[in-house]
Amino acid sequence: MYGSLDISVSGMIAQRTRMDVVAANLANRDTILDAVGNPSEFKRRFVTLAPAGRDVPQGVRVHSIEVDADSEPRKVWDPTNPYAKPSDHPDAGYVYYPNIDPVTEEINAMEAMRSYEANVSAADATKSMLAQALRLIA
Amino acid sequence: MFIAQVTNADSLPSLQATIQFAAQRHALITHNIANLNTPNYEPVDVDPRSFQRQLGEAIDRRRTRFGGHRGDLNITSSREVAQDGRGRLQLRPRASGQGILYHDRNNRDLERTMQDLVENAGVFRVATELLRSRVDILNTAIRERL
Repeated sequence: MYGSLDISVSGMIAQRTRMDVVAANLANRDTILDAVGNPSEFKRRFVTLAPAGRDVPQGVRVHSIEVDADSEPRKVWDPTNPYAKPSDHPDAGYVYYPNIDPVTEEINAMEAMRSYEANVSAADATKSMLAQALRLIA
Repeated sequence: MFIAQVTNADSLPSLQATIQFAAQRHALITHNIANLNTPNYEPVDVDPRSFQRQLGEAIDRRRTRFGGHRGDLNITSSREVAQDGRGRLQLRPRASGQGILYHDRNNRDLERTMQDLVENAGVFRVATELLRSRVDILNTAIRERL
C-alpha cells in the first residue's frame, strides 16, 4: 500500500516537471541570445516520460528533457537589429526568434494539470484505504 | 493448530483474499494513472470478475469440505491471479487492450481508470470493515467481557 503512494507521487513529479518545462518555454519565447550573450535563439524543450520499474509497476519517471533542435526558427524582418543576420547570410536582415507556439504550450499545460489532478485523486484514494486498514487494529 | 483454527474461522480467509486482491490491484491502477501521458504505454489490469469467480469457487469448495466454519481457502490459480504456498495472492497483470489509441500510442482511458479506482477502493473498504467486525468479535472473546 505504501508502494501505491510512491507511484502516485512519481506521477505528480513527472507532471510537475512537464509544467516547469512549459513555463520555461513560454518565458523564453523571445530569447534570441544564449546564456553567455552569443546570438543563438532559444530552442523549445520537451519532456519524455517512461514507465518506471521493469517487472513490478512502479509508476513513471522522466526519461529525458530534450531540445527540439529540428524546428525552424521564427524569422522576423528587422535589418536594424544588431543581431540580424549579416548580408552574406541567406536570411540577411532577419532576426531568428524561438519557434514556440503559445497555444501548443498552453494545451500541454492543461493536459499536465489534468494528469496531476488524476494522480492527486489516486493518492487520496490510497490515503483513505490506508486509514481504513489501520482501523483494523486501532 | 489452534491459532490456524482461530485465523481460518468463518469468513476471515475470503475477506483476507479480497483485501489482498484489492490492495494489489490498487497499485496497478495508480501505475496506470501515473503513466497517463507516457508514450507507447499500454495500461495493465487484472479482471475483478474472474477473481470473483475464482473466489466463489474456492468458498464453495471450502463449504462443501468443512461446512464453511473452518479450513484453508485454496484458490485455483488462473492466468492472472495465483496463490502461493503460504496463501498469499500474486497478480500477473496483462495489458487490457481497451481504449482509444492516441497519437502518442498510449492506450489510456481516463474515465474507466478512475471508475476502477473508486470501485476497487470501495471493495477494499467493505472488506476491511467486515474484517474489523470479525476481529472485534475475537477481541471480545479474548477479553471474556462484553
